[in-house]
Amino acid sequence: MRQANALATFLFGLAIVASASHPATVSAAEEPPQTMAEAVAIATDLAKAAGPRGQTALAQQADRIAAMPAAWIVPCLAAYADATPAGANWLRSGLERAVDRAGDSLSAEAIAAVVVERKQPARMRTLAFGWLRERDPSRADGLLDGMLDDPAIDLRREAVEKQLTAVVNAEDGVQQATHRKCLAAARDVDQIERIAAWLSEHGEKVNVARVLGFVRNWRVSEAYDNAKGGGFARVFPPEAALPGRPETGQWKAVASADKHGAIDLNAVIATKKGVLAYAIADIVMPRSGQAEVRIGSPCAVTVWVNGRPVMTHEIYHASEAIDQYVAPAEFREGVNTVLVKCCQNEQTEPWAADWKFQLRVCDPIGSPLATQPE
Amino acid sequence: MLTTRRLPMLLIMMLCCLPASAADWPEFLGPRGRGVAPEQGIRTHWSAAEGIAWKAELPGRGASSPIVVGDLVVVTASSGVRQDQLHMLAIDKASGRTIWHRRFWATGRTLAHPTSAVAAGTPACDGRTIVALYSSCDLFAVDLNGRLLWQRNLAVEHPRSGNDVGMGSSPRIVDGTAVVQIDCQGDAFALGVDMVTGADRWIVPREKIASWSSPLAMTTPEDGACVLLQNPHGLDLHRAADGKTVWSWKGECSGIPMTAESGSVLHVPSDGIAAVSPSAGDATPAWRSTKLSCGMASPLAWGNSIACINRAGVLGIGDTADGRLRGQIRLAGSFWASPIVVGTTIIAANKEGRTFLVSTEGEPKIVAENELPGTFTATPAVADGSVYLRSETTLWKVAAP
Repeated sequence: MRQANALATFLFGLAIVASASHPATVSAAEEPPQTMAEAVAIATDLAKAAGPRGQTALAQQADRIAAMPAAWIVPCLAAYADATPAGANWLRSGLERAVDRAGDSLSAEAIAAVVVERKQPARMRTLAFGWLRERDPSRADGLLDGMLDDPAIDLRREAVEKQLTAVVNAEDGVQQATHRKCLAAARDVDQIERIAAWLSEHGEKVNVARVLGFVRNWRVSEAYDNAKGGGFARVFPPEAALPGRPETGQWKAVASADKHGAIDLNAVIATKKGVLAYAIADIVMPRSGQAEVRIGSPCAVTVWVNGRPVMTHEIYHASEAIDQYVAPAEFREGVNTVLVKCCQNEQTEPWAADWKFQLRVCDPIGSPLATQPE
Repeated sequence: MLTTRRLPMLLIMMLCCLPASAADWPEFLGPRGRGVAPEQGIRTHWSAAEGIAWKAELPGRGASSPIVVGDLVVVTASSGVRQDQLHMLAIDKASGRTIWHRRFWATGRTLAHPTSAVAAGTPACDGRTIVALYSSCDLFAVDLNGRLLWQRNLAVEHPRSGNDVGMGSSPRIVDGTAVVQIDCQGDAFALGVDMVTGADRWIVPREKIASWSSPLAMTTPEDGACVLLQNPHGLDLHRAADGKTVWSWKGECSGIPMTAESGSVLHVPSDGIAAVSPSAGDATPAWRSTKLSCGMASPLAWGNSIACINRAGVLGIGDTADGRLRGQIRLAGSFWASPIVVGTTIIAANKEGRTFLVSTEGEPKIVAENELPGTFTATPAVADGSVYLRSETTLWKVAAP
C-alpha cells in the first residue's frame, strides 16, 4: 500500500510538470454548443441513446449540454418527446448540471410555460415542475389548481393533494364535495384508497373495486395439472380453443366481493398445490384501440384478449401488487373477452399459499376503461 | 477547432486516478467486502444528541449502505410514488454538506418488500468511478464529481430481469470490471462490465432462482482475480477477466446472507455455517456448524474468528479452523444489517436503531449500546475513526473520538 501511494504521488508530480509545459486542450466534441439550435440537436441525439456501446461519447455530449447557457435549457426539454429510457437519463444528467450551474438565472417563467403544456411528455413536464418548485414554490403551487385532470399522473397527484390539504379545516359540506371531486380525479391507488376511507368515515360508502375498475365477474374452469410447473407451458382445452372462445358451459360463475377485485382460486376451486385454472370474463370497452391490461398475482399468469396472447409471467410468489404486470392490448368497441391462466406451484411456505389474481383495463395513467355487461 | 483549456481540469483528472485510500470504505462490507476495518479508535457511546458529527436527511428511502471515498460519503436512495426516482448523493465527509446529487429514472421494475427498497444495493468505488446498482436493475457509473460516465439499463436489455420483492445485490469491482449478480426467476445472469466504457466484458447465465447475496472478490493462485457468486443452490467462482467458471460447489445456501472468506476458506451460510475450500478437491465441507447460523445478516470472518447473528438476535463467535463455538451473546432486536469488525470490536446495528459494540477479546461482551431513531437495515461503514449509519431516510456520522 505504501508503494502504491508513492507511485501515485510520483504520477501526480509528473502531471504537474507535464501540464505546466503542455497546456491541456479539448476537442470541438467537448466544447459547449455555440447556438441554441446546436444545443437542441445535441439534446435530441442524446435523448435517443440506446444500448451499452458508445457511452464515452454520450458522456461528452452530456457535458456539452451541462455547459450551455441557461436560456437554452428549457428549449432542450423538447428532446424528451422521443426519448429512450437510457436517453432520458443521459439528457437529464446534462440538463440537471446545467440547471445547477444556472442557479437563479434560469427563468421560472420559461419553466412554467413548459409545465402547463399538456401535449408535452409527462416526464418532461414533471421534471420541469420540480425545477420550478425549487425556484418559485408559490408559482409552482399555483399551477396545480388547474391540474386535477392533468394527463401527467404525478402532476395530477400533486393537484389532488393540494385540494385535500386546502379543505382540512373547512366545513363538512365543503370537505365532502372536495373529497368526491378528488376521488374522481385521483389515479394512484393509495390516494384513491385514502380518499375512499375518508368518505366512508363520513357516511359515504365507496366501492373501491368499482372506482379502480377491477373486472369482478368471471367464469372459472376446473383445475388442471401444474406439477413441477409443467402446466404453465402446456396447452389445456381452454387454450386449445384459442383464438376462438373456449367452451365455458361447465365453468363456475364467480363475482368477486374483494375490495381489489381479487379472484381467490383457493376459495373457488379448492386449496391445491401444483395446479392451474383458467378464468374468462367479458368486458365492455367504450371505444376501439389500445389500452393497458393490468394484472396482479402472486402466481404465474398468462393473459389473452380476444384470443390473442397479451402477456405471460412465469413467476411464483415473488410478491403481488395491484397493476403488478402491465401490457398493451388491442380492444374493439363493445364486448371483448379476457382469458387468464393462473398457475399455482408446489411451494409449502405459508407465504406461498395464495392462488389468486386481480385484473383491470386502463389507460396509461390508470383511468379504468372496462365495464361488464349487465 | 482545438482550443486551450484550463489547467485545473487535468489536475482534477489526475487526482481522480489516485487509488482508493486505505482509510476508505469503498463498497458493501468495506474493503474487498470482508467487513473488516483497519484498527482505529472509534467512539463507543453516542445518541441523537451526543457524539454525532452530522446527520443528512436523504431525498428518499433506501437500504443501501454508505461508502466512503476520500472526502466523500456516497449514498443512494429512491423516491416517488412508484419509487422510480433514483438518487445518488455525495456528501462532504467533514461537514455533512451535499456536494452533488444526481437523479435518474428507473427503467426496470420498482416494486419491493417494505423491508427493502429500490436503493438496496450498496455502491462501489475503485477510487475514481462509483457504480451503483438499483433494484430496478439499473447500473449507473459516475466519476467523483458526479458526472455520468455510463449506464446499463439491464431490465431493458433483459426484460424479464427483476424481483418484485426487491433485488438487493451490490456490485463488486474486480480487476477493472464491475460485476453484478442478477438472480431472479426471470432473466438471471451475472455480468462483468468494463469500468471505463460500460460495455460487456462477459455475461454468464445463472439459474432462475431469486437470491439477494452480493459478489465476493477473491484471488486464486491459478486464476488470479475472481468473483464468487452464491444462490440458494450453491456457489460459483468466476474469473473476473472473462467470467469463466473456475469452480463450483453445490449445496443448500441461504439466499440473503453472503459467504464470508478468510484465509482462502469460504464460510458459507448453509444449514448453519459450512467451511468450504475451492483449493480442496473434495466438495465436502471441512466442517459444518449448526451452532453458528445466520438470519438475514451475513457472517463475518477475520483472522481465525467467524461471527454470525442468528434469527433470534444471538451473536455467536466461532473458530474458523473447526467451527467450534467460542462464545455467544444475546443482542436485542432484529438484524438485517451485517456485522462488521474494527480491531477486536464488532459493530452490529439492529433494525430498531440500536447499535451494539461487542468486544471479542475473550468471551463476547457488549461494551456499548447506542440508539438512534429510525429503521436501520443498512450495514454500517467505518472510515477514519467515524462510524456511518444509514436509516431508511437519514445518514448519520458518528464522530471520531
